[in-house]
Amino acid sequence: MSELTEELKAKIIAQLNLEDVSVDDLDAQTPLFGDGLGLDSIDALELIVMLDKSYGIKLSDPKEGRKVFETIQTMADFIEANRT
Amino acid sequence: MPMSKPIYIHGAAGISIQPTTEPGYFFDSILRYTQNAIPAHDPDYKVLIPALQLRRMNKSMRMAIFTAQRALQEAGRTTVNAVITGSGLGCLRDSERFVESLLTDEGQSLNPTPFIQSTHNMAAAAIALALKCNGYNMTYVNNANSFESAVLDSMVYLDEHPDDTLLFGGVDELGERTTQFWDLAGYLKKQAPAIPTPLANSTPGEIAAEGATFFVASGKPTPSAMGKISAVATCHETDDSKALVSRFLRENGLEAGAIDAVLMGYNGDSRYDYIYDDLAQALFMGASIVGFKHLLGEYDTVTAAGVAISLRLLGEQRIPAALQLSGTQPKQIARVLIYTQRRGRNHGLILVER
Amino acid sequence: MSAPVRIAVSGMGAISAIGNDVPSNYQSLRSSRHGISHIQQLDTPHRGKLLVGEVPLSNAELLNRLGIHSAEAYTRSTLLALLAVKEATADIDVADGHRTGLISATTVGGMDATERFYDDYLETKSHRHFIATHPCGYGTEQLARHLGVTDYVTTISTACSSAANAIMLGARMISAGRLDRAIVGGTDCLSRFTINGFNALMIYTDGHCSPFDEHRNGLNLGEAAAYLVLERAELAMGRSKPPLAYLSGYGHANDAFHQTASSDNGEGAYLAMKQALEVAGLDANAVSYINAHGTATPNNDLAEGNALLRIYGSAEAVPQFSSTKAFTGHTLAAAGAIEAVFSILALQYQQIFANLNFTEPIAALGIVPQTTLVSAAVGHVLSNSFGFGGNCSSLLFSHAHE
Repeated sequence: MSELTEELKAKIIAQLNLEDVSVDDLDAQTPLFGDGLGLDSIDALELIVMLDKSYGIKLSDPKEGRKVFETIQTMADFIEANRT
Repeated sequence: MPMSKPIYIHGAAGISIQPTTEPGYFFDSILRYTQNAIPAHDPDYKVLIPALQLRRMNKSMRMAIFTAQRALQEAGRTTVNAVITGSGLGCLRDSERFVESLLTDEGQSLNPTPFIQSTHNMAAAAIALALKCNGYNMTYVNNANSFESAVLDSMVYLDEHPDDTLLFGGVDELGERTTQFWDLAGYLKKQAPAIPTPLANSTPGEIAAEGATFFVASGKPTPSAMGKISAVATCHETDDSKALVSRFLRENGLEAGAIDAVLMGYNGDSRYDYIYDDLAQALFMGASIVGFKHLLGEYDTVTAAGVAISLRLLGEQRIPAALQLSGTQPKQIARVLIYTQRRGRNHGLILVER
Repeated sequence: MSAPVRIAVSGMGAISAIGNDVPSNYQSLRSSRHGISHIQQLDTPHRGKLLVGEVPLSNAELLNRLGIHSAEAYTRSTLLALLAVKEATADIDVADGHRTGLISATTVGGMDATERFYDDYLETKSHRHFIATHPCGYGTEQLARHLGVTDYVTTISTACSSAANAIMLGARMISAGRLDRAIVGGTDCLSRFTINGFNALMIYTDGHCSPFDEHRNGLNLGEAAAYLVLERAELAMGRSKPPLAYLSGYGHANDAFHQTASSDNGEGAYLAMKQALEVAGLDANAVSYINAHGTATPNNDLAEGNALLRIYGSAEAVPQFSSTKAFTGHTLAAAGAIEAVFSILALQYQQIFANLNFTEPIAALGIVPQTTLVSAAVGHVLSNSFGFGGNCSSLLFSHAHE
């Protein structure tokens, strides 16, 4: 499980261009949106694309993404449950 | 166009292929290049743009916000009432990225970011967001008259809102595939491209470059104002530049001799530079002719950099050797006329005065 | 902003999915006959899936109607614009000595050609004459040449508010005494670029869009071109025909909230509408009909609806309103202009056009659009266009006898 969270940290940094952030700076429990990392709705869409391209999971409703992308841990849990 | 109220400039900043972001820089040393196209010199954007916003920004947005913030600093302000920008091609690189992604992956998940960022008004929008400015926000995308259109709207706006202050400017970025297209279309100089671009015995083609220049302006003069823009005019095509310029001078109550320095858009393209030669001979014999594109390259909104140079000429009261093309140092510089065109079209005239 | 000079609308032209000229557009609105269908012309994997508001004429047919040789480089956006601008200026003599400007708007520009020939340009010479057509300003200059306009020519590109801003600039230039007449409007054709872009943003609906509906889930794109001829009222009065309408107000503001999303309380929309009313010197209650931006995205309709509630105070007080985007699709840079034409038709025919595909009001708002064609006393119409980059514009048109 922690392998996936580490993998996700690296993917998020790359996908969202978080140049100043390193994998060590990211905690699996930190909220990604709002007060935590401060990502926005465009980032959410990019994460949806990442879910599809890297893990074969298609989210058809962007609102679904809110719960899935709460933290890196929730993302990892969702991927484990749904990956193809 | 009738004589109109001038707008006063209180701050200016520019990014270009020369180190124009260095404090006090005024072309006393020049970076030389032998390539075509030439990307602009990036300053440390993080100084003025938070990392969380910067990460997604394309070059147009970075350059526009950075120069807008610098111009604001110079004007001693943190906000404005309106933002008016010009860009010939908008956010070109992100447009290319999105086209490329759809050509390979259409039908599958596409990254939305390049699409969002490719909208032409993104630089103006980014400035509005950075300044939390709810005011008038406009973007002109009209080839090499994009910046002049922004200037005109600024003049109309400040006439309507005499108590307001605004930001206006021009920005253009290089693409990658688009540069190849320009090469195929015959726009680019193939033979020994160089900055400074040789203007005598020149060859066909332009040196493609990029940059951004932004200004803070208001309708009211202050003792510290850098100068004023008194008039602007554009003409998308004409065979008679002399008539165009003569009419502009006449409409502004001026004789050619009243102009202390003439900035001309010589860019080393042998196919079109003769337009400036003819004009200089017809109206400005013996005048101080100043160039800028031979050092900054060519892009649709490079005239904005010409305005910044004109304001510096007023302040410094001297023409740097690297910019002076002909004539002598004028006894005083109170009135500068800028005349540009690109590939025989989009003639632009701007009058900058003390 | 004050508007001491009365701005008359002396001409208009339009082409969209619901008609190739203004009268045909009106017939479709009157019959509540929309133009949303499967993609016919664009070669894309989305054909058969995403619905669009397409003009049912191929580029070859457009060239033919205009009498332009197919070897010349004209993008689809420009061809549509030429048809609309010709209709708009049919009774106008641009060379009559009055200072005439052309202010056009587009977001696609020449992208329909660029995306088609992106690899082809590198491989063969056959289409390289289209390279020059990519910039937004290129088509505008072709229009200027066809019209013979020389006094002032420019292009605005501010996403979905583009044409409304072009109309506004025309009015301001006339008010400022810099022009006597302005040909203003916008054009955008369908492209893979925009279809895929809005799809990637997950705001492109399956099926037909349902503006202001609780279950709306996105827009349909459309293509269109529309232009108005604005003139100083005194100039317009000299004509044999009375003005079509007056442009009595305009407003523009930036939401400054997010690159693409509108603030929930519709700050930019609210400010733009308020400003249009102020310029017109009208109370909000004087508005008979609001032609909403109403793209049917979850975000826009909520933000716009909230802005309406802020201006009117309650759902009951909001005048009759509808979004006509279920007829034409969202025509991006042309939207402000085609909807200006629809607003003027509402004034001419004293009718309010239907907001199609509506079943349930947005729970958070409680406002209900006009869902059927209805006759009404229409004196003043507010037309909204809100775009990416927070760019919000509102135009206020008044009956020619007001």
